[in-house]
Amino acid sequence: MTTQTLHRRLVIGGAALTATALALTGCGRSADSGESGPKATTSVGSEPATGNLTVWAMGTEGENLPKLTKEFEQANPGVKVTVTPIPWDAAHNKFTTAITAQSVPDAAMVGTTWMGEFADLGALDPTPSGIDTAGFFPGALDTTKVGGTSYGVPWYVETRVVFYRKDLAAKAGITTPPTDWDGLKAMAKAMQEKAGAKYGINLQPGGTGSWQTVMPFAWSAGAKITSDDDKQFTFDTPEMQEGLKYYQSFFTEKLAGTDLPPNQTEAQFVSGQVPMFISGPWMAGSIAKLGGDKIKPNIGVFQLPKNKTATSFVGGSNFVVFKNSKNKDSAWKLVKWLSDAKTQASWFKLSTDLPAVKAAWDDPSIANDPLLPVFGKQLDDAKAPPAIVNWEQVATAFDTEVEKMAKSGQSPADTAKAIQTKASSIGTGS
Amino acid sequence: MRRWWIYLIAVLGLIAVAAPFVWMLLGSFKTDGELLRVPPTWLPEAPTNGNYSELFGKANFPRYFFNSTLVALVVTAGNLTFCSMLGYALAKLNFKGRTPLFVLVMGTLMVPGMVTFVPLFVLVTNAGLANSYPGLILPFLVSPFGVFLMRQFFAGLPDDLMDAARVDGTSELGIFGRIMLPLTRPALATLGILTFLGSWNNFLWPLVIAQTEDKYTLPVALALYSTGQNAQHYGLLMAGAVVVVVPVLVIFLAFQRHVTKGIAITGIK
Repeated sequence: MTTQTLHRRLVIGGAALTATALALTGCGRSADSGESGPKATTSVGSEPATGNLTVWAMGTEGENLPKLTKEFEQANPGVKVTVTPIPWDAAHNKFTTAITAQSVPDAAMVGTTWMGEFADLGALDPTPSGIDTAGFFPGALDTTKVGGTSYGVPWYVETRVVFYRKDLAAKAGITTPPTDWDGLKAMAKAMQEKAGAKYGINLQPGGTGSWQTVMPFAWSAGAKITSDDDKQFTFDTPEMQEGLKYYQSFFTEKLAGTDLPPNQTEAQFVSGQVPMFISGPWMAGSIAKLGGDKIKPNIGVFQLPKNKTATSFVGGSNFVVFKNSKNKDSAWKLVKWLSDAKTQASWFKLSTDLPAVKAAWDDPSIANDPLLPVFGKQLDDAKAPPAIVNWEQVATAFDTEVEKMAKSGQSPADTAKAIQTKASSIGTGS
Repeated sequence: MRRWWIYLIAVLGLIAVAAPFVWMLLGSFKTDGELLRVPPTWLPEAPTNGNYSELFGKANFPRYFFNSTLVALVVTAGNLTFCSMLGYALAKLNFKGRTPLFVLVMGTLMVPGMVTFVPLFVLVTNAGLANSYPGLILPFLVSPFGVFLMRQFFAGLPDDLMDAARVDGTSELGIFGRIMLPLTRPALATLGILTFLGSWNNFLWPLVIAQTEDKYTLPVALALYSTGQNAQHYGLLMAGAVVVVVPVLVIFLAFQRHVTKGIAITGIK
């Protein structure tokens, strides 16, 4: 049959073509995309910004930013800022594609965990002198540093603290929030025994993003993710094990559950089923949305309890300038203006994003808030993982091992060892 | 009713297919608080049109709708025109290198889109088409799958029809346009629906190629407004999904008659 021979030839020919196309596109990626670009800016001039600036920002930040940049345009009549909002879901894809094709914006908001990758691709412009970095929270400023060089500035921050139900805590006989590890555990136990809670505290039993809750305990016990030069992982240490052991003890003592439906933290908090959890500032809004006005006065927060330190996780977003921008000087002026304490305070009012500049926290809109000052204090002792290229992969391995520890009782020592082995085989990527 | 179980299976299947859709429709009238509640509610306790008014309140919403419609319509028209022409040539015209050309088309069908994504983006950007309607449309104007589909359908039509037309003195273009093409209506309807759906739902390409908001299509805008870094606006997402689905339903209802007819015709052969 002729059709059969044709079919066979088709398959063979198609396969050969596929292989060729794969090989061709495989070598299409140029690793040194940014290096041939213009030279780095060394300082920020004082004359007004001019020309056109395109800026990318994610989600609601991208929606609200134009309201703020209008003020920048008024102060610098010669400049026009175009903000493109990008969905969070796919922002990483959009950035990496744009960097590969060298069609980047002038400046952009960038997630803190992407810094290592983008800097490694040679896409980012190092921070010039003339931008005052002393005013930022130190943990947030660290997220802009890749291999000793600083790229961009922290724009807004978030950190994790302990949320608790004030009314239930009173029932459990807790009048002042605990400050050390034993105190936190005692409080969780009291919530369970005296306030009718199913579990004392909501802790994520592993899975995506659980490292953000586990690492603060490890950091507080003195652990570090990498050696000082960011070349070696240091997960298998007594300090790390201590942090893991403390985290696991909540599950073994049944103070935290592995059998709760996921993503119901707010609902369980409102119902009183699980009246404590560790999370970021956005949760206050989510809880109020779910529980209505009557829950609001019962939301309380306190800083993470202390071991050696009381270190939390710092997240948020940075603002960077791209090396291939044709209007870098003005782009840096925009960045400088965005990190001004006054601009940061008006941004908080527009977006409720917490300012990365300490001075902005004196603004009455933040200082008089019932919850926010606690976050401000926590930010003085908050860390982010080092900006290494492969962090996302390492984090996934970490989350998997934590899940084994929380759910099937893998010992903290074995967990630390397994994370170290996996992380080492992934490598820091630098 | 000896075959009651067939109906049972059909009803179960219908429930499985329709339930998420009904959930989406009902959910679009709920507040986020109610959507996330455990145990969940089916009917909205306090129906609200807040999600819809928020959605249509976004200044650029008509613009996204226009962009999506324009891109989907042009892409569909392009596919119907070019795929049928190419398919016809590959099936019915004798020329040198016809088979290798067909193999080439099939070859591109076998390369996954993700592999060619970045090269395609670089190509379009270098051509100066980033952030433009041609940039959104051109790469999808003709698809190897469409060519394949049309070629197979043309190949099944008898050559006698063409010969008869030639004897009667019809031009080659006339044979294609007036004799053969009308016979492929079922295939065209299928291709039309698939292409329109593909273009309408396309997310990654418009996201990457559109550099300013005024070139965003509906799926991109929907993702933009409903997902945050730490929280999802589910109500808005549901309302948006309902609005996005409606045109697709209309298109399907318009073409559906032809598709079923197409299945009937192929059945006779």
